[in-house]
Amino acid sequence: MSETTFMGVERDKIDWKPAIDYTKCDYCMECVKFCSHKVFEVRETEDIKLIVRNPNNCVVFCRACSKICGPDALSFPDKNATSQRIREIRKEESNG
Amino acid sequence: MVENYAILPCNGLDKCAGVISRELAIRLCENAKNEIICPVYYRVAEAKYNKIAGGHSLLVIDGCQTRCASKLAAEKNLKISQKLTITEEAKNHNIELKSNLRLLENENALIEIILSDLNNAQDQGRRSSVETSSLINFEYETYQNSKFIFRVPKNPEVYFNENDCWACVVGNRARIGVTDFVQQNLSDILYFTPPEIDAEIDQFGEVGEIESSKSVFELISPVSGKVISINETLVQKPELINENPYELGWFAEIGLTDFESDKELLIGFDKYFEIMKTKVEEING
Repeated sequence: MSETTFMGVERDKIDWKPAIDYTKCDYCMECVKFCSHKVFEVRETEDIKLIVRNPNNCVVFCRACSKICGPDALSFPDKNATSQRIREIRKEESNG
Repeated sequence: MVENYAILPCNGLDKCAGVISRELAIRLCENAKNEIICPVYYRVAEAKYNKIAGGHSLLVIDGCQTRCASKLAAEKNLKISQKLTITEEAKNHNIELKSNLRLLENENALIEIILSDLNNAQDQGRRSSVETSSLINFEYETYQNSKFIFRVPKNPEVYFNENDCWACVVGNRARIGVTDFVQQNLSDILYFTPPEIDAEIDQFGEVGEIESSKSVFELISPVSGKVISINETLVQKPELINENPYELGWFAEIGLTDFESDKELLIGFDKYFEIMKTKVEEING
């Protein structure tokens, strides 16, 4: 399911994944049901019952899970900084 | 003034945003010819509320992003004319909502602001696009997977990002929208939130949102620039995005500011078509 590249850049080099604010998360698991890319993982028996298991599966620039999060517990990196970083990596790689 | 609306609030009584949505609905009905649809009683008195909804435009007030009221509207096949989310409104107006269930100063202030915004928006209306015809004659390549058909424009003026959004660039402006891949995945699109006219948009910034009973999708702008017009028809007929997301269901037009730079992170038909096919196969097998 995971994308290997995004805009020609290895996905692993792009820092784009949701951050969970555990002070807000109420473990409703709507994000788990919502995300078809299996970014999240439920850990029923642990104290922290939800983690970001597959960050590289997360679609770069997609923030849809945060849009459906009732307690507003999900956040993402800055889009401008991320697109700038992608440009830089592309430039570095094309130079060499 | 907001008048002749059926108001469907979230009414979540165990959350501050729900209590605000309830109060806002009551306030909207106090001084105008609006009617409340009670989301709880709707479950057992469908005929009563279907009649009200059928005779009015529908304003949905969601408390939070869980969108219970929107989901109820979708379940009941109600057409949403206007919607707002209390937690989003609070964020936009820098008002912090806490866990209190009684309305205090902050909550009452937010209600006043929303009432004022709603009334102003109604009075002023929106600026719409002057030109609704296609910028170009679209030519398509088609890909079919089981019963789903995906069309992708192959014109050289049409660029894509890997987030399934397109931009048709003519001169120094671009018309933007989502591809068939998005609309097929969302299924029936029930609501379109346009961007603000004159808003400055970064490449990959959010430029409008669509919502179906299944999900919410924000259009990730392929280009940077200023919003010069929106597709006003979509506000009343979001289903046009399902019908044809390119010629009828475009979101907005952007006055381009740095397309040469934007282009570096965009792809053309050939590459997008392959990426889209891979995505469809991953989902549908």
